[in-house]
Amino acid sequence: MSGALVRMGAIVRKEFRHLGRDPRMLLAVVITPVIQLLLFAYAISFDVENVPTIVIDLDRTPTSRSYLEKYEASPFFEVVEHGSTLADVDDAFDHNTARVAVVISAGFARTLDGGGQAQVAVLVDGSEPTAAKVAQTYSVALNQLYTQQLTRAWADAQGLDLSSLGMLEPRVRTWYNPERRSSDFLIPGLMVVIIAIVTVQQTAVTLVRERDLGTQEQLEVSPMRRIELMVGKLLPWTLIAFLDVVMITLLGRALFGIPLRGQPVALALGAALFVFASLGMGLLISAIAPSMDTANIIALLIAFLPSFLLSGFAFDLAQVPIVLQWLAYAFPAQYMVTISRAVFLKGAGVADLWPEFAALAAYAAVMLGISSLLYGRRSSR
Amino acid sequence: MSGKRIRLLIWKEFTQLRRDPLLIRLLLVMPVAQLILFGYVVAVDIRNLATAVVDLDRTVTSRKLEAAFSGSGYFTITQTPRTEDDLRPLLDRGTVKVALVIPEGTQDRLTRGETAPIGIIVDGSDSQISAVGSGYASQIVAQFNADRREASGVAIEAPGIDARVRVMFNPTLDPVNTMIPGLIAAIMMISLMVIMSQAVVKERESGTLEQMFVTPIKATEYLIGKLTPYAALATAQMLLVAAGGLFWFRVPFNGSVWVVLVGLTLFMFTCIGLGLLVSLVSRTRHQAQQAVMFIMIPTMVLSGFIFPIQSMPAIIQPLTNLIPLTFALQVLRGAFVKGSDFAALAVPMLALVGFGVVIFGASIVATRRRIAE
Amino acid sequence: MPALPTTPAPPPGADAIRARGLRRTFGDTVAVDGLDLDVPTGAVFGLLGPDGAGKSTLIRMLATVLAPTAGEATVFGHSVVTERDAVTPRIGYMSQRFSMYPDLSVAENMEFFATIRGVGRADRRTRARQLLEGMGLDEFTTRQAQFLSGGMKQKLMLATTLMHRPDLLLLDEPTTGVDPVSRREFWRILAGLHADGRTVLVATPYMDEAERCTHIAFLDGGRIRQHGTPDEIKAKVPGRLLEVTAADPRAAMAVVDGVAGVTSAHLLGDVVRVLWDGAGDPAPTLASALAAAGVRDVGVRPVAPDMETVFAYLADPSTRAADAEPEVAAS
Repeated sequence: MSGALVRMGAIVRKEFRHLGRDPRMLLAVVITPVIQLLLFAYAISFDVENVPTIVIDLDRTPTSRSYLEKYEASPFFEVVEHGSTLADVDDAFDHNTARVAVVISAGFARTLDGGGQAQVAVLVDGSEPTAAKVAQTYSVALNQLYTQQLTRAWADAQGLDLSSLGMLEPRVRTWYNPERRSSDFLIPGLMVVIIAIVTVQQTAVTLVRERDLGTQEQLEVSPMRRIELMVGKLLPWTLIAFLDVVMITLLGRALFGIPLRGQPVALALGAALFVFASLGMGLLISAIAPSMDTANIIALLIAFLPSFLLSGFAFDLAQVPIVLQWLAYAFPAQYMVTISRAVFLKGAGVADLWPEFAALAAYAAVMLGISSLLYGRRSSR
Repeated sequence: MSGKRIRLLIWKEFTQLRRDPLLIRLLLVMPVAQLILFGYVVAVDIRNLATAVVDLDRTVTSRKLEAAFSGSGYFTITQTPRTEDDLRPLLDRGTVKVALVIPEGTQDRLTRGETAPIGIIVDGSDSQISAVGSGYASQIVAQFNADRREASGVAIEAPGIDARVRVMFNPTLDPVNTMIPGLIAAIMMISLMVIMSQAVVKERESGTLEQMFVTPIKATEYLIGKLTPYAALATAQMLLVAAGGLFWFRVPFNGSVWVVLVGLTLFMFTCIGLGLLVSLVSRTRHQAQQAVMFIMIPTMVLSGFIFPIQSMPAIIQPLTNLIPLTFALQVLRGAFVKGSDFAALAVPMLALVGFGVVIFGASIVATRRRIAE
Repeated sequence: MPALPTTPAPPPGADAIRARGLRRTFGDTVAVDGLDLDVPTGAVFGLLGPDGAGKSTLIRMLATVLAPTAGEATVFGHSVVTERDAVTPRIGYMSQRFSMYPDLSVAENMEFFATIRGVGRADRRTRARQLLEGMGLDEFTTRQAQFLSGGMKQKLMLATTLMHRPDLLLLDEPTTGVDPVSRREFWRILAGLHADGRTVLVATPYMDEAERCTHIAFLDGGRIRQHGTPDEIKAKVPGRLLEVTAADPRAAMAVVDGVAGVTSAHLLGDVVRVLWDGAGDPAPTLASALAAAGVRDVGVRPVAPDMETVFAYLADPSTRAADAEPEVAAS
């Protein structure tokens, strides 16, 4: 066994030397994750606020102005332009300077004073559906509320029975992330995506490279076991993946104030299992890929696209067609995204998340097993 | 410049492509995979959110409210726990994403004409769901209030606002309608940048690039010969995506084909330039791939391709103007969704001209200098 | 994981390598075609043959890195298929391609491969120093392998292969693409190993290197066509060898080829090498034939056969047909 340890040690040392000789590699495993973290955490937000709005007040009365103030006061709309004709709306929409237009027709105040239904047109640019949906939702709600207030004031003045004017008032509470900062949502998931990219991408080429260099055969004529080679190859990347986990956690806390509510042990355990699962996947690619190029491409297809799009990191998996949900089960990323988010934000522990932990453990075992088997078969042909 | 030599180079490039069955398959699979992933995963309408309802009121009103929620299509009531305390584990495990709590005495308060608070809890660990979910909930409650008001006689005489909210251009608000035009531009960028930089670096790796420059072939001829096949391939891929979008996802096309063609042609120069620049700074294909990733990630995040620029913080938004894809998306989405003409798209078109001149020009100058060395 | 078995020393004179009916196919291509081979312990065994003859495939099978399709082979009495663990510690294998890590230095490469081969730490240092000094590489220990010249790369591979003191060296064209000075030096090192009693199996396309071997085998089409000591091989070429010079060697060759008694004629530089298997004295016969054909400045003289000519003769399909009985068992 001590011979095995010496041999594994030699592989680990060698792998680190390769890393040290290639400064771009350092860039890929340290700098790129930090840039990704900053990009995603700073740039992406799902809360639609301050939708640029153009208002056209053809009534120009104190009543119409007080109505428009509701828009100005709403966090969802930002009045960027006061137009005078309908042509201004076309212009603003064409040049993307506004996405919502509120048009108050002349006679607005007069109609209301007469107890009538004053007409307002709200035009929403649907070319950016997310913002459009929110704008649509909130402008409907805003008008309902305004009408309710008008009715109430009128009924009050008339001394009428108010029983039909009781109102439900939604009090929205956001759990786990009360300020709804999208960085809280994205960073725990982003960590998973970054680990997946770093580990799968780099290990996918590691065995192919030995084959390309011809050093494969030299390893084969040595007493080295397959399992020793695998462990020796995995160890450095396990360390680097953990370095990335720690780095992202610390940066997330320092820069974005991400809470770590659960046990760090649960996160570490999850990360370890996930790293093994990803490395297993990388090794599997490496064991079956005929060339470096192919390995690279497969790694990109398997590591990047599914972990980015099918992990639930930014896009809710419950919303996608069932076939794609099944596909997502075939990749380890979604289990880890669930674990990471639950541990960071919900304070969950191993006991709460045992199905995910079990899935990752099984995944890691199967991947490492298969790749070890396939690699062996290939090398002795 | 010799047409014969250029034709020879183009033939060579196609022959090499044909000998690489994996690449061919990949070039076909990539647009299809992206069409599926972006069409069904990214451009997805959030609906049927798993919802828990805690009805402590147990009245006609509370049941009506529940019905309003489940009838909206946005919420699917999957759990009805007895107390609020039971919500915690449901949200912890992610069994439900939204919870509606109707306190005891809600109906009584309403009939007294008071304002009755109801609790809506959203899972903030998923920003998208919490943003959209709380918006839908507010809309449903507002509608509920309005219906109650209208059902009474008071509303008939009372003043009110008849707001007509109309969605222009994309009335179904289907995100696919903007995703597919965006994907056409994105796939051109990916194809030209990734595949072309790989091809040039491969040529350098195998030493044939050096061979090429001891022949009478001119740098310009080499570039044209190298670029034409990949531009053709990218065009084929774009057509595939466009066909998939128009016929499978039934994306409407409202604009002018000319606007799309001019926009894409302008953008193509930028993409080619970026591909050449990548191949200049990379010695191996692996490095080229990493350089491409280095460009692609900020491009995907900041261009508004996946995440709307609208939602970005004000300090970040100016940065999006540094990303060429941002303007290509404006042109394509404008043409597809809004039917915008050249005049309306003058700014992004000019921006694309600017990027094209600078990036393509720089790459040509740098490549020629490199070759001359 | 089984413990490494201890291998008993081979009985002196026993075969280091013994192959019977060894065959390897790649798809429809037969690389090694039912080959028999015996390499005596202590031999410097040269494996000669043109490109594609199956030399590399044979060596890789003996090195246990490639499984045979059929047949069997033993190294020091252990099967290369079922007893890999007994074989690998005793062999050193140097592949045709440079197969060290390009981004690791000379010392790092040697240390790495010695470590995984189980060479102890203290032993690694002294041995590496000895080997590097012996090969004139000691100035380059910290240089990355990718920046070495072709000859130095080959020496690094050989030094690395020798770190664990293998009893059998399997060298696949170690001198291909190496300058003549380095080649001579390389063979000097091999001679030293031979003197130490090690067995060397070396594949080479260079015929002059065959002269330095104690045994040679000529491989073609996946079979051994000829084998024996260099002298035995030379003796296999029937008849006598003559060198013909003329003002127009091509014309001379054409004429000579048609003379009865000539088995083959090859152009070597600007002389024609002629193999004579007929009766009588060939020199006057040839001279008169050439004169009759009007070839000017004719000179004919007998020469001693060298390997180059021997293999040109043996590899010639027209002459081989008569001679190619697949031989079994070596001396």
